[in-house]
Amino acid sequence: MHKTQTQPRETGVAAGAAVHLTGLRKHYGDVRAVDGVDLTIAPGEVVALLGPNGAGKSTTVDMILGLTRPDSGTVSVFGSTPAAAVAEGAIGAMLQGGALLDDMTVAEMVGMVASLHHKPMPVGEALRRAGIADLGVRRSTKLSGGQKQRVRFAVALVSDPDLLVLDEPTAAMDVGTRREFWKSMYEFTNSGRTVLFATHYLEEAEEFADRVVLMRSGRVVADGSVAEVRALAGGRTVRAVLPGVTEPVIAGLPAVTGYELRGDRAVLSSADSDATLRALLAAVPGARDIEISAVGLEGAFLSLTSEENTEETGR
Amino acid sequence: MNPAYLVTETRRSFRSPRFVLFAVAFPVLMFLLQASVFVKAGAPDHDATVKVLMVNMMAFGTFAAAMTAGTKLAIERSSGWQRQLRLTPLSGPGYLGGKAVSSMLVGLPALIIVPVVAIFVEHVHIDPSGWARIIAGIWLGAIPLVLLGLLIGQFGTPESMQPVSMLTMMGMGFLGGLWIPIEGMPAWMHTVAQVTPTYWLTQLVRPVVTDEMTVSFASAAGALAVFTVVLGALMIKRYRKDSARV
Repeated sequence: MHKTQTQPRETGVAAGAAVHLTGLRKHYGDVRAVDGVDLTIAPGEVVALLGPNGAGKSTTVDMILGLTRPDSGTVSVFGSTPAAAVAEGAIGAMLQGGALLDDMTVAEMVGMVASLHHKPMPVGEALRRAGIADLGVRRSTKLSGGQKQRVRFAVALVSDPDLLVLDEPTAAMDVGTRREFWKSMYEFTNSGRTVLFATHYLEEAEEFADRVVLMRSGRVVADGSVAEVRALAGGRTVRAVLPGVTEPVIAGLPAVTGYELRGDRAVLSSADSDATLRALLAAVPGARDIEISAVGLEGAFLSLTSEENTEETGR
Repeated sequence: MNPAYLVTETRRSFRSPRFVLFAVAFPVLMFLLQASVFVKAGAPDHDATVKVLMVNMMAFGTFAAAMTAGTKLAIERSSGWQRQLRLTPLSGPGYLGGKAVSSMLVGLPALIIVPVVAIFVEHVHIDPSGWARIIAGIWLGAIPLVLLGLLIGQFGTPESMQPVSMLTMMGMGFLGGLWIPIEGMPAWMHTVAQVTPTYWLTQLVRPVVTDEMTVSFASAAGALAVFTVVLGALMIKRYRKDSARV
């Protein structure tokens, strides 16, 4: 196990939690897609689920939604099973690559899903909140990738769920559309709903999540606020132009945990930037353009998820 | 059952050109073609033959409608829409039941339009109770075909559904005596016909229109009931397996 692994922040009663996972495991043949996940999400939290491809994010999401049955462990959503929570309309979800129907208009599709729920919000409101009020009469075949994602968002919203689960919601969106999307999301989370979203975009997690859960190889490797997770990675990044330097020289510097060398330009990750820098200046007197920066979430992400790459799981 | 959901489901079918072509236009045109080309105007068995053709094409229309519903199911399954619906209070039985009822409903156009054409163009006369038995019989007798469509739809992909549903429609239509009336079949083919639900579907109402080569109502209804139970069980089993996996 990784030394930076943290425990879930609270061990409160499952009944009080929006999502409560204990010892969750799912194997596909030899592949351990999810390998012992414990996670508690309190009502009202906005949680980002981060991890490289194959970390088990989608499988975890599927088990929370009741689409996949865990091999072992328990899932509870607002104190009941996923199936019961779904039947109550408590969960809204945007699935990865979730489909839209070609033979219906946007409003009809959202209306169809609304008709299946007990207490849906008006279709017009769902469309407005998703920012597609003007697209109601369009067929989904006539929509751009970003617009389709917003339709899926409207489908997830229309049941007025207490828990919103989004699997890669902004994939296929350009930067502008992504901003717009998160603006709509913000409106929703401000009303005290719980949101769990899986994403590849670290800046989204940094900007919109109260809490970040980092997964690797089916396990949670870090869990905390953005600042806490960033701190877990520790260390600093040292950038410098080092004329004539060779890789062994860099690798031999104290406290260096990783490096990248392109021509004369080096980027070093260091657990103790002071020690690294002193040794660096002694070893490479010609060093210039030196910058030292704190590791961002991206750095934390890389350092926490890069180890044991060989064990990377599929799916 | 949720009426709003059912209405939307049913309305979707009428937007599919494939559905309108196979389940509505095709039976009507084939009926007209067969009745005017293959039946001699003055022949003594003219009336009965035209009626047999009418029954065959009504049955074919419901069959085609059922297969279209199967294709729709395959599309929803592979595209992930079915997964999305599993996140609503709609249950698995509710989903399949809705599909079954809507594919029954979309079989109705052929059951109405073909007889209307038969009455006005071919001057077919059948007493009201006869009409009731024909229409209700084919409609309800199509239940195993609806189940067959939904079963195939759970195995097929949107790409494979086109040829598969085509083959099933043509194969069962041909063998079951929808394309060539069983009167014209050699003996061996008539034997083979009896393994198809389409054969028993027409047999359910055939006694109304002809006395030749008929079976008792009980045996036709019994055969269709067996098909219903077997296909229904297979379909549910497949759905359970499928939804447990994804």
